[in-house]
Amino acid sequence: MSEVDPITMQVIRSALKATADEMMISLIKTAHNPLIYEVQDFGLAITNQRGEMLAEGSGLPGFMGCLGPTVQSGLRALGAAGYGEGDIVLANVPYDTGTHISDTAVYMPIFYQGELVAFSALMAHWADIGGKTPGGWCPDTTDIHQEGLIFDHDKLVEAGQVNQTFMRFILKNVRFPELVHGDLNAMIAACRTGAKRYVALCARYGADTIQAAMDQVFDQSERMMRAKISEIPDGSYAASIMMDHDGVEIDKPYKLAVTVDIDGDAMRVDWTGTADTVSGPTNHPFIGTVALAQTVLKSLTMPHDPMNHGHLRPLTVTAPDNTAVNPLYPAPTDSYGYVGEMIIHLMVKALSKAIPERCPACTYQMFGCVFYRMDPRHGKPFIFIEPLDGGGGAFPHADGPNALVFVGDGNAPNTPTEVIEGHYPLRVRRHTFNLEGAGAGKYRGGLGVIREYEMLEDNILIQTMNENTINPPWGLYGGGDAGVSRLIAWAGSDKEEEITQRVYLYGPFNKGDVVSQRSTGGGGWGDPRERDPKLIEYDRRNGFALADET
Amino acid sequence: MNRQRLAIDVGGTFVDFVSLDEETGEVRIEKSPSSGALEVRFFEGIDNLALDPAELQMIIHGSTLVINTIVQEKGAHIGLITTKGFRDVLELGRGNREEIYNLFYRPPKPLVERYLRLEVTERLDARGAIVTPLDEEEARRAIRQLKAEGVAGIAVIFLHAYINPAHEERMRDLIREEFPEAELSISSEICREWREFERSSTTALNVYTKPKLSKYLSAIQRELRRRRYGGTLNIMQSSGGITSLRAAQEGPIRTTVSGPAGGVIGVAALGRVLDMNNLVAADVGGTTFDVALISEGRPLERAEHRINRRPVLQPTIDIVSIGAGGGSIAWLDEAKGLKIGPQSVEAEPGPACFGLGGKRATVTDAQLLLGYLDPDYYLGERMRLSREKAQRVVQEQVATPLDMGLLDATAGIVHLANMNMAYAIRNITIERGHDPREFSLVCYGGGGGLFAGFLLNELEAASAIVPLNPATFSAWGLLNADYREDFVRTYLTPFEDITAERLKLELAELEAELRARFSEYGIAASQTVIRFQAAMRYHGQEHSVIVPILAEDFDDELKSLRRRLDALHEKTYALALPASAAEIVNLQASILGVTKKPVLKRMKAQPSRDALKGGRKIAIRGYGANLDALVYDRAKLPAGAEITGAAIVEEWTSTTLILPDQGATVDEFGNLIIKRVES
Repeated sequence: MSEVDPITMQVIRSALKATADEMMISLIKTAHNPLIYEVQDFGLAITNQRGEMLAEGSGLPGFMGCLGPTVQSGLRALGAAGYGEGDIVLANVPYDTGTHISDTAVYMPIFYQGELVAFSALMAHWADIGGKTPGGWCPDTTDIHQEGLIFDHDKLVEAGQVNQTFMRFILKNVRFPELVHGDLNAMIAACRTGAKRYVALCARYGADTIQAAMDQVFDQSERMMRAKISEIPDGSYAASIMMDHDGVEIDKPYKLAVTVDIDGDAMRVDWTGTADTVSGPTNHPFIGTVALAQTVLKSLTMPHDPMNHGHLRPLTVTAPDNTAVNPLYPAPTDSYGYVGEMIIHLMVKALSKAIPERCPACTYQMFGCVFYRMDPRHGKPFIFIEPLDGGGGAFPHADGPNALVFVGDGNAPNTPTEVIEGHYPLRVRRHTFNLEGAGAGKYRGGLGVIREYEMLEDNILIQTMNENTINPPWGLYGGGDAGVSRLIAWAGSDKEEEITQRVYLYGPFNKGDVVSQRSTGGGGWGDPRERDPKLIEYDRRNGFALADET
Repeated sequence: MNRQRLAIDVGGTFVDFVSLDEETGEVRIEKSPSSGALEVRFFEGIDNLALDPAELQMIIHGSTLVINTIVQEKGAHIGLITTKGFRDVLELGRGNREEIYNLFYRPPKPLVERYLRLEVTERLDARGAIVTPLDEEEARRAIRQLKAEGVAGIAVIFLHAYINPAHEERMRDLIREEFPEAELSISSEICREWREFERSSTTALNVYTKPKLSKYLSAIQRELRRRRYGGTLNIMQSSGGITSLRAAQEGPIRTTVSGPAGGVIGVAALGRVLDMNNLVAADVGGTTFDVALISEGRPLERAEHRINRRPVLQPTIDIVSIGAGGGSIAWLDEAKGLKIGPQSVEAEPGPACFGLGGKRATVTDAQLLLGYLDPDYYLGERMRLSREKAQRVVQEQVATPLDMGLLDATAGIVHLANMNMAYAIRNITIERGHDPREFSLVCYGGGGGLFAGFLLNELEAASAIVPLNPATFSAWGLLNADYREDFVRTYLTPFEDITAERLKLELAELEAELRARFSEYGIAASQTVIRFQAAMRYHGQEHSVIVPILAEDFDDELKSLRRRLDALHEKTYALALPASAAEIVNLQASILGVTKKPVLKRMKAQPSRDALKGGRKIAIRGYGANLDALVYDRAKLPAGAEITGAAIVEEWTSTTLILPDQGATVDEFGNLIIKRVES
């Protein structure tokens, strides 16, 4: 195939990006589950026939990088000849797909003039997947089979026809069949939208021209990424941390350790030194470990360039088998997100030794509370999930951002007090900054949040998320570490109790009881003695001075 | 009898003036640069049109003052008073990371610094019942403290005031006693919707922009009075309806999208004349490209929009702005990928071909080199364009580094710019549940005519329409606006719990409020139209759809309302759940005071021979490098004229390009209607 001219190449690249965006619009508009349309807990991509990413839609960081490998594992399992026109496939074996089984991938082979030319693929958090915990996020599973239904590149749609037996089987085995059914239809529709647009592009430009154009784009993106990596000083940069526990062996901290090698225009990330696969569900599948390394690389070098396979060529990621960042069957992975969050921050910490000006200090880690009452004998059932926002790590040039959701929850907004009180038997007594727990520094960490709830009815239980209470979010270059996120149960009463561990089925809380959530701030950056007097005055004037003193 | 109406639309580069003689239908236009003091520009334009304000019947003003004040962060020094425990709501925001790959992402800084956000003991519950009464002593202390801090205004937001404004209203009285000179807004007067952060943001922005808009409008009002103008000065709102000077001064936040709204209202008006119900309004300016949809004859609206990332809860025409236009810069990324925009050159010096010192290659430069623009007839000969300068920047910045011929590079720039716009329109249309092939495009703004043909083909739209005087079309649109007031009230109620009788009472309350607000306009009741809608959703869902409430709903105990919810949900989200429980989220009422509409002047059919000015060679990627195009003078094109592509139609503020596989006709009102020619 001869060279494609620069204009055609650019038009095709934009057209593929627009195709991925159109898939996203289709998914969001027709999904029934707020995790999809509100939290945007999904990823979308178009890949070529080899499973190499041509274009990504938006969604959560990390997901997009999982879709290519998911398709590739399917190509290994079924062979290219195993796919037919109009097929739509389900896959969620986490060791092949990168996260946990709730994020089930739905993908579709795309044929043009009888040839397999591409795949449209997406991955979204299902409303339920039939595991031991409703909604998926089991805190204490010990193998994958406890976590729900497993799909291994199984065809839900064959030659355009939905396999109704398979569909009925799925719906019978999940807790919210109506939601799951609606979401599945939305995911099928989104894959078909991607396929339809891709085929239209083939008709206009020719399948070969698209291939050739995208091969050129890959080369171009690779060159650009290599140039960016070359700007990072060569060297071997390491970071590690002890995590609290895996949810099952709660007295046993475990280690995550990473070494990032910059060698000319290539980056190598190695996780040797990380603990063996843990007993509980906080293992992070290797495909996801690779995808997050891609996310970090992109964030540090070219955050605004639409991503494709070419950007990833200069990156190699390795991890020994049977570790917490490369678990093998049948390791549990349902609460993989605690480690996922830390993978991002540890890599940034390692690289802060090479490119300090691009690396913020550590952000508060996943923290939040679920209020629920499931048994109708105790009152009207409800569930309210509140991932509490917290402080961002300080920047090398400015204070950290206050009160943002943790990185893994991406663009998810918090719930307004007026909406909470309109829906649930809770009254919010306070929603303010937490003045404690931000790391001091030349630039201080962003502030965490206090949200305090009074129960208006009886028999309410809670489940909490928390991490890094032993080793809190760090500061960089002399900046102070952050504090610990904590929950105060029965606040202001004789029973008052501070909880930093993860708990579930905890309570019951009755009318008048108060639960206070307090997320910590982010780590600081630089020596606090170098803090600009103007910033000190700003903090003093606004009552943030406590954050400078800690 | 005064019969002249005047519309004034302030844009980024120009202030446009359109006057209409109601009797003859004669329309006159004028442009003046929007730099310098707008109060001065306002009267300059009136003078240039030789209009005597004493003889004007009506003035309608679309202003960008409020949006500019917010974007440039040049509003007033203000304080905020809120419920105890919630002083940080304005700064906490919603906590979402809008840019997930940006490690340095941060939300905008708070409009009011923390030390100027004070708390007062008081509390309502979600039904509006008083949990804790307002502590008036504490309230007075807070007001005095803000006064001592030297604030110019105070915003008051109490939790759940959307359902019971009693505490906010008492607070308003206390502020008037303690600090009468302060500008003041209470949230329940600005919006009656839940979500405390968005309501705080809206209310604070309102106080923040009040002094500036007030001062500007008062200055204009004074000068108009001095010149014996006896009519009213009407201000365009984001909703696409006009309001009085006084209401705009009280609620500047209603006017954020005042500028582009005029064009959309114009497109809807044009649609009525042409009997076309589904239209895409595409306004192509120098730096931005604004898209809105007219569906079934009405502009799509939204309840919330963002200015400079700050939320505003006000009924607004759903306009999406994209960084693309004639001034968009063609540039190469680090891997030599050709990109167009979103950055654009400033109005001054403008594109390189303007010869005013512009050094970047832009879309306009490329359009000139391809022969679409006549270098000697730009802005009706007011400006000469330099081919040499355009050629140099495109050669140096695009062609040479890409190792391409000048012509290929130039045609490529225009092609990519067209494709970007087409993708944007396509996604906006699909996102709102519509198929672009069922729509016609109305392309206006200075650059609309050069994009119309491309967008028509790319989107497979039914037709593309370029109205007469496209560059001042937004100002003309203002002349078509009705008076309008809106009232949206959060009213979270299970649908099963509401009876037709109760709903009727609720709506009557909204109507009474709107009629009271409307009384100052002196519009006869027979000239008003009232519309009701409800935001409704299925139980457990976050997304709601806006469902019109019609008279028939009260005759069958709301059964037809419920059916309408299912039908609209199906259309918007491809899902209907007729058996599922539903709820009302809010009730919405709007009242229109119908104004007399300008009657489009019909053109006389006459021979068109002298409309043909000549021909020139043009190049279009995908069609050829050496195409013959006939060039027409739009002012001389009669009704019924038919033009075969490739062709160029010139008028003093704009140029339209008709592609080789297209044809255009001039309708009896002078609109150019472009269609694809079936081969």
